[in-house]
Amino acid sequence: MIHLPSIIKIALRALRVNKMRSALTMLGIIIGVAAVIAMLAVGKGASTKLSEQIATVGSNLLIVVPGSTTAGGVRMGYGSYQSLTRSDAEAIASECSSVLLAAPLISGSGQVVFGNANWATAVLGTTQDMLGVRDWTLASGRNFYEQEIRSAAKVCILGQTVADNLFGNANPIDQTLRIRKVPFTVVGVLNSKGQSMMGQDQDDIIYVPIMAAERNLFGRRIPGSVHAIMVKATSTEDLGRAEEQIKQLLRQRHRIGPMQDDDFTVRNLTQMLQLTEQAQKVMSLLLAAIAGVSLLVGGIGIMNIMLVSVTERTREIGIRMAVGAKTWDIRTQFIIEALILSMIGGLIGIVLGITLAEVLSYFAGWTILISVWAIVMSFGFSALVGVFFGFYPAYKASLLDPIEALRHE
Amino acid sequence: MALIKTDRLEKKYDVGDSVVHALDGVSIAISAGEFVAVMGPSGSGKSTFMNVAGCLDKASAGRYLLDGTDVSRMGRDDLARIRNEKIGFVFQGFNLLSRTSALENVEVPLLYSTLPIGPKERRERARKALSLLGLDDRRHHHPNQLSGGQQQRVAIARALVNNAPLILADEPTGNLDTKTSVEIMELFVRLNEQKGITIVLVTHEPDISAYSKRIVRFLDGRIVSDEVNRP
Repeated sequence: MIHLPSIIKIALRALRVNKMRSALTMLGIIIGVAAVIAMLAVGKGASTKLSEQIATVGSNLLIVVPGSTTAGGVRMGYGSYQSLTRSDAEAIASECSSVLLAAPLISGSGQVVFGNANWATAVLGTTQDMLGVRDWTLASGRNFYEQEIRSAAKVCILGQTVADNLFGNANPIDQTLRIRKVPFTVVGVLNSKGQSMMGQDQDDIIYVPIMAAERNLFGRRIPGSVHAIMVKATSTEDLGRAEEQIKQLLRQRHRIGPMQDDDFTVRNLTQMLQLTEQAQKVMSLLLAAIAGVSLLVGGIGIMNIMLVSVTERTREIGIRMAVGAKTWDIRTQFIIEALILSMIGGLIGIVLGITLAEVLSYFAGWTILISVWAIVMSFGFSALVGVFFGFYPAYKASLLDPIEALRHE
Repeated sequence: MALIKTDRLEKKYDVGDSVVHALDGVSIAISAGEFVAVMGPSGSGKSTFMNVAGCLDKASAGRYLLDGTDVSRMGRDDLARIRNEKIGFVFQGFNLLSRTSALENVEVPLLYSTLPIGPKERRERARKALSLLGLDDRRHHHPNQLSGGQQQRVAIARALVNNAPLILADEPTGNLDTKTSVEIMELFVRLNEQKGITIVLVTHEPDISAYSKRIVRFLDGRIVSDEVNRP
């Protein structure tokens, strides 16, 4: 078999002779590869961002909210019915085997004052289990003690935004602030979770013990009733089972007959986000497939030009055959030529694709993630396209009759 | 032992309804060291004979022994190897690779050699062949920068580079002026006498055939005369 460096030299010379044509032939591959790289970078970036959001909401999360009520024929929507109670939350945590933690929630809002600073924020009454349910971590201080929940202690944990707005750079721990004019002592500050998918600032909150919220802040509710129960399942696989167990338990506890509707709803937040993620994956796969089609078209362009090249160089092929080139010598030569075209095209495409992705992330603010895997795959694929579409012209060239080829003008 | 030995070679072409016998029972033996001119009008079968003798084409029937090897039943790649090792071709139209230097043109047969020849040795051997033909100073020139005579000498260097015992030349002076033709023919005579290379050459010019030792005439696919020209 002919020696590889020589064959590459011959191929490069042949490609240099028709520079413009070689460049135009590569263009198909360049665009294809650039598209694949950019699409995958954007797609991967979006799904990574989504996964991060899933993580900030809290993984394996279920939310139980009261059902709707009907008041004189007017349906009131979810949460209007105060059917859920603190003891429901306790029962869910202790009786459902697929549930890891459950934290009740009373939500409201209020003006918070510290010194001469004040801030309006969401005030949430809950238990010490909330941090575990939502995968919150503390930047400083501590979680509530169980004792503090039961005794309606006036302590609170601040979200990062609230801490920043009220205390600036000062340490809020052990300071006393006023929520709706009621003094509360800060025991902890949460780490930042950033914005939620809907663009809400997740750090603009204050957690207080649920009893304190009920007694001292939002007193007009039916005692014991809660706005929601946040539940963490033992694992992602157990989400469905946990949902079933909660439904059964609550139907039993609320004495709902077999024919009656539930007076509560279980929302599977993680599942919703995962569905979105899946949709996103399908989308980016689809885009990659379109890019793949453009690679295919580029490959056909290579085949076309290689066929032209074989015809143009029939005489050269004849000469090479006359002096001893074998079938595979000729084939290798043309395949290598196609391979070089597609690989150079692939390399340029990779550079262009990365540039394109960077430009998108810079100007459009999209999250991008360029994976080595995408680069290796698209380069490998473009090489494959070269070999695949170079083969037929090479095959044709190798079957030429040397006498006919030598006579060719 | 004869370098070329054919036994009732036949070559038939189907042309529509009729069959053309380009070779119609050609038996000839050419020994090593001979200088043979093949003559005949066009359509006499001399070109077909050269193609078969050069292993570029296969006979429809008959046997062909080249250097003692029966090549008449060989496949494509085996014939390519035989061409590479045993035969140097010189064509009327030179058939050099364009946009390729003289040196690289001469290297081409070495590229396809079954023996492992490194790039350095290739270069050296090609240079030696070129210097033998007085073209060392032109080795980096491309064919379009060389005169017809120079181009033909590059082609001859290419035919010599693999140390083939046989050179087949198809009207090698057809595109050259008289003075250059004489130079090329004297070169062939020298190669034949000094290096013992067997030369078979197609021509229809008596001036050219005069350089050979033996003249074979073809007509209608048969050898009609075979005579000694000079000892």
